[in-house]
Amino acid sequence: MARGGPNGGPQYDPMKVSATGGNGQSGKFAAKKTAKAAQLRPSGGGEYRATQDLTNQIREGGNVKTTASAANPASNVPASPSPMDLAGMLPAISPLDSEPTEYLPISDGVDFGRGRGSEALPPRFNKDTRQIENVELIKRYLPDMMNAARMQNAPDSFKRMVNALMKQVM
Amino acid sequence: MENTFFDHLDKFGNSLGYENFGIAFMLSMVPWENPVDRDNFIMEITGQDVKGGTPSNYIPEYLEF
Repeated sequence: MARGGPNGGPQYDPMKVSATGGNGQSGKFAAKKTAKAAQLRPSGGGEYRATQDLTNQIREGGNVKTTASAANPASNVPASPSPMDLAGMLPAISPLDSEPTEYLPISDGVDFGRGRGSEALPPRFNKDTRQIENVELIKRYLPDMMNAARMQNAPDSFKRMVNALMKQVM
Repeated sequence: MENTFFDHLDKFGNSLGYENFGIAFMLSMVPWENPVDRDNFIMEITGQDVKGGTPSNYIPEYLEF
């Protein structure tokens, strides 16, 4: 059965295909391309013999000098940003980074001791979850703390604290 | 009870305040080498004297809840 060839070409008949292959192009491919290059002659308008020189150059397989560099300078290509621009684009991680911390007390940012209170912290740290954590801790360890408060030499302050913590969870 | 977890908890809880119990609890878990180092740390972060029980105010009676 005949089969269709590529691009509407002649149909192949599988009964006529040689099992040993064909003879190949025998160098005709390069000759055809050279003839094609000879046909691609640039149009005139240049200097005397300029067209002939270009034709010879194409025939010899050389590259034709492009005129794109003169007509289209590289100004359209966006310039890569300098390192200084990148440094300016980076925001500070938090407002506290811009402040020197050498002279701040260790309790800066908490509500007890020296230094500023929790109002100095960034807004994302202002959400107070201490009460929830406190209650969870107290619930978990209150039995042990009650036993410790019943020890013989337990101080009054510890007993008062255990009483106060019990009131928080009850 | 000296230099034990509950001793640390007593000092940190009373010095930092009951509302900071979570912080006091975590700091009480630090294996302090001796009570002096711990008390110096408390005085450093609070700027005040250490609050809490001392051996002088220990009472032998059990606490009535």
